[in-house]
Amino acid sequence: MICDQCGERSASVIVKQQQQGQMVERNLCHICAAENHSINIAFEQDPLAIHQLLSNWFPNAQASINPVRKEIATCPSCGFTFSKFLRIGKFGCASCYDAFSPQLNEIFKRFHNGNIEHTGKIPASYGTTLKIKKEIEELRKQMQISIQGEHFEEAARLRDEVKVLSAKLEGGIQDGS
Amino acid sequence: MAVERFLQPHASSWMANDGKNVDIAMSTRVRLARNLNNFKFPYAFTEDEALKVDKEISSVLLDKGNELDYTFSHISIEELAELQKEILVEKHLISPYLINSHHSGSVLLSDNEELSIMVNEEDHLRIQSLQSGFQLQQAYKIANELDSLLEKNLSYAFHEKHGYLTSCPTNVGTGMRASVMLHLPALTMSHQIQRIIPAISRLGMVVRGIYGEGSEALGNVYQISNQLTLGKSEYEILQDLENMTEQIIQQERKAREAIALNSPVVLEDRIYRSLGVLTHSRLLTTEEAATCLSDVRLGIDLKMIQDVDMSILNELMIFMQPAFLQQYADKPLQPKERDFARAKLFRERLNKNGINSEGEDLA
Repeated sequence: MICDQCGERSASVIVKQQQQGQMVERNLCHICAAENHSINIAFEQDPLAIHQLLSNWFPNAQASINPVRKEIATCPSCGFTFSKFLRIGKFGCASCYDAFSPQLNEIFKRFHNGNIEHTGKIPASYGTTLKIKKEIEELRKQMQISIQGEHFEEAARLRDEVKVLSAKLEGGIQDGS
Repeated sequence: MAVERFLQPHASSWMANDGKNVDIAMSTRVRLARNLNNFKFPYAFTEDEALKVDKEISSVLLDKGNELDYTFSHISIEELAELQKEILVEKHLISPYLINSHHSGSVLLSDNEELSIMVNEEDHLRIQSLQSGFQLQQAYKIANELDSLLEKNLSYAFHEKHGYLTSCPTNVGTGMRASVMLHLPALTMSHQIQRIIPAISRLGMVVRGIYGEGSEALGNVYQISNQLTLGKSEYEILQDLENMTEQIIQQERKAREAIALNSPVVLEDRIYRSLGVLTHSRLLTTEEAATCLSDVRLGIDLKMIQDVDMSILNELMIFMQPAFLQQYADKPLQPKERDFARAKLFRERLNKNGINSEGEDLA
């Protein structure tokens, strides 16, 4: 079939338009169809909405079925299922993050260039415990580097620091600041 | 009513024309998304919960906001007339999403309009800090101080691994979206912008035209913002964005020099024609106004036009929009009538300031 508009190329798109109250159907080639602005109305306003990206990446919510209990992950607090999350692209509450936890790393990686962990600001109320945990993690990393470089004195010093901090964590934080 | 002062056609402080690199970087915005721990997020909560969230957040802000030397006005969205809502959107003080929400929401605005806190938008809390020019650190500092004040009095949804928990997975972590509005006429004219945009997106940042994604930027105004909110600290995100913005600014300056050098008459002709259109036309569409504003702005930056105040152009970018025009005309306007009102507004604002005013008929 030849394009109704240019009469040259072969038609590949059928465009339905409301014209003076009547539905008109036209066969257009891809070039004329693209030039025909009014057909844009037929598309969703935001062709790259989050929920569309999600459902394209995770076409069937199989990942959400717990292999042991054979049930679909559901958030106990707000009732959102994993499939609903994929469909609308939004969480229903804070507990969703735990309920869908096994699948989230994959999702976060795609949105955040492979990153899955927060390294920024921490609210003051969470601050002290979390800060110590992060410090311990950092010291352990440094300790490994020292051991690999055979700087054993430095490694021992770092180990002692970790001990002090761990004791602080276990003993609870005194000042609560 | 509290909202009246914010509806006036007075420029907000972030529209003033000061700050670093303000000739190219017009304004800076930092937004923090937060949610309360003990309530469902806006996609799942009930109207009753929405009201409680609004009450809880507003009372803290109205009570403690003055600790930061800000006075806030609380405005319930549902109490506003349609036109009033649209004016706040046109002024960038609230988002279109907030006015279309099915739940009770509100906005708390600081008197100088630098801070706007939306309640029950996509998240319980959206702290927005606006600055004139290129001032990422300053904009973040203000948002961060307010955030710290709020978290002392509210329990935020926060996760050790994921950070601040948000409705959308694209905001989780820092919850921060920082952006700079850039006027890039020379990069657009020389088609270099098409090569720059994909490069930027590979680095976890995104560029979009001011009025929507994908489309050609109206008036050569682009917004560059961070895309990532996980894995980098606020400080690193701001640093990256700052470096990238500085590079784009330098590229734009080079492109301007090249155009001024290679085709000075063509450029001058284009700039003065645009000034003519803005000061003399009787019908002015949004697209034409935006294009001409861009040219005149460039003319001022290149010192070709000396007698037009840049801050008036900033104001006009806001006030030429449909809701403001209808307020200005004091009646509902059809699109064609808006073009007439827009042309009248431009003639009045620009000619009052002494350009080509002779023989002008302002009637």
